Amino acid sequence: MLHNLKYTLKTLFRTRALIFWTFAFPIILGLFFNMAFSNIESDEQMKIFEIAIVDNQEYRENIIYKNVLDNLNGEVFDAKYVSEEEAKNLLEERQIYGYLYFEDDTPEIYVRKSGIYQTILKFIVEEVEQRKSIFSNVALKEGYNFNNVAADIMAKLDSDVLSLNNKSNSNLSYTVIEFYTLIAMAAMYGGTIGLSAITTSLANMGEVGKRSSITPTKKSVMVISKTLASYIVALCGIAILMLFLYFVLHVDFGDKILYVILLAMVGTLAGNALGILVASLFKCSYDAKIGIIIAITMFLSVLSGMMGITLKYVVDTNLPFVNMINPCNMITDGFYALYYYTTLNRFWFDIVSLLLFTMLCLTISSISIRREKYDSI
Amino acid sequence: MKNIVEVKNLTKEYKNLKAIDNLSFEIRKGEILGLLGPNGSGKSTTINSILSLLKTSSGSIKIFGSEMTPSSYDIKKKIGVVFQEVAVFNELTVYENIDYFCGLYIEDKKLRSKYIDDAIALVGLENFKKFYPKQLSGGLLRRLNIACGIAHKPELIFLDEPTVAVDPQSRNNILEGIKKLRDNGATICYTTHYMEEVEILCDRVIILDKGKILASGTIDELKQLTNIEEKVTIEVDNLSDKIVSEIVEFKNVDTISYNGSALVITYKKGKNNLTEIVDYLNSKKVKYDKIFSERPTLNDVFLELTGKELRD
Repeated sequence: MLHNLKYTLKTLFRTRALIFWTFAFPIILGLFFNMAFSNIESDEQMKIFEIAIVDNQEYRENIIYKNVLDNLNGEVFDAKYVSEEEAKNLLEERQIYGYLYFEDDTPEIYVRKSGIYQTILKFIVEEVEQRKSIFSNVALKEGYNFNNVAADIMAKLDSDVLSLNNKSNSNLSYTVIEFYTLIAMAAMYGGTIGLSAITTSLANMGEVGKRSSITPTKKSVMVISKTLASYIVALCGIAILMLFLYFVLHVDFGDKILYVILLAMVGTLAGNALGILVASLFKCSYDAKIGIIIAITMFLSVLSGMMGITLKYVVDTNLPFVNMINPCNMITDGFYALYYYTTLNRFWFDIVSLLLFTMLCLTISSISIRREKYDSI
Repeated sequence: MKNIVEVKNLTKEYKNLKAIDNLSFEIRKGEILGLLGPNGSGKSTTINSILSLLKTSSGSIKIFGSEMTPSSYDIKKKIGVVFQEVAVFNELTVYENIDYFCGLYIEDKKLRSKYIDDAIALVGLENFKKFYPKQLSGGLLRRLNIACGIAHKPELIFLDEPTVAVDPQSRNNILEGIKKLRDNGATICYTTHYMEEVEILCDRVIILDKGKILASGTIDELKQLTNIEEKVTIEVDNLSDKIVSEIVEFKNVDTISYNGSALVITYKKGKNNLTEIVDYLNSKKVKYDKIFSERPTLNDVFLELTGKELRD
């Protein structure tokens, strides 16, 4: 087993094409993503943004909001105090990101589209709403310093820009999404490694396979050691990619790094299993099989949002079954779950889905390759 | 002599083709058995069937007295195979390739190291240990292919056309190596369509065609199967059609062919044929360069048995 493992590792690490596609290609793609999306990201950097507040009776009488918004004005946003009609026009002409309209104690937020500033506006309203009971009971009676509330909100804005993004899917960072799908794609590229390793142990897949099949080493030992070796190589690839993303491109994986690593490991296992499935099911040349696995990987990556998040949502909405069985989507979804959810339920669901997918692939593969005699070779 | 391999009534059918048709033969301990046949005659299919790589339609195969199955690991330990196509890893060096395949048989590292050195010496790759397969010539690659198949010192070796497309020096090296293996006690099954290799190497020969055994025996026994007893070749230019047609009428002549520079006459019987033709040519004042007589070769037997038409 160890002898086989050692030489399979040597063989895989020395296969230049394989190393390029699994090690270098995702990094190159990551660099391109970084260059392509850095402009979009910089556009999304925090700046003082324009809003309007409908200056009506209700607003003027709302002491809490009036104080907090006055304190934030000029610090977080530039507010124009206008009539409802003017606010509508400003929004229509895109001169403001949104406006607040007071009809009762809680203002209505009007926006044209979703975005980071619209979310910040919503966040401010939510923060004030949370403190309302305190204000009503204590603050108004004891002269509460509303400057503190505004300062508190600004501090939160400074430290929690990411969590602000979390409040709405439409505000996901483009770069982070692309890097999730990139990691998913790299994990699935582990399939090419699994495919290459397994090919050399099957008699109907080439001369080396034939030679291996007539040795006294059991096929199960051969297949398991080669699968293990291919998994180790694939893990190295994914580890290098993640280190590169984290340390060089400064991609933020959040604070649940152990879960991120677990997801990457399970995703890579699923990728390997898919490669082994392709190797065992398709009766064609090695090169054709490599073409098939790369095509499948790219297709699954696109469906899971690599070429734009829109397609992922279109598939999720119209063909949910497709992404439910798409391992690439399970990986990206797992990352989203870690990033956007406070609970881990969805993350574990994705992990279990990936493990089930892996088991299914390996079961079908083992049924296919367990025969030891062939009709033709 | 003890039989190492016993094949009985072996048949392998594809959809509309019998690749092997009721084949029965044995390989005896210590011999080199030549499986001789044109392309597509069923040589490789026979070996793959014996090795339990292919499903067979009927028949039985025993190796070392036991039935051969895919899980006959004790039998497999004693077998070495050199396939027709080179079966090595391009990413491993010469030494690593031999070590890898040898390691699938021999776990003891010390013993394996000695076996690898022996195999490298046998095929003459001492100066290429750290070379990768892509850096080797066709002949050296074939030698590596052989070393990978025999490094574990198997008792039974199958060599499937190991000298295809190699230069004469490498071929000579390979043939010498195979003789050494036999001299060291290995039993060898050697498939080829090169007659001269069979004549140099094999103790017994089986001639296969269309999956059937056409003939078997020692080389001398096979040569007796042919109708030809003597072949006379005369190097002569500008021989007239009239003279050629007169020679055809000679007693004992079986066939005659003339290509403008050499006249080849085969005889059914072999007494005084050379004297007769020399006397005739002298009487006709025909000048010739060389004239020589030889016994029929294995090639003559092979062509007579399998036919002279070209095969795919």
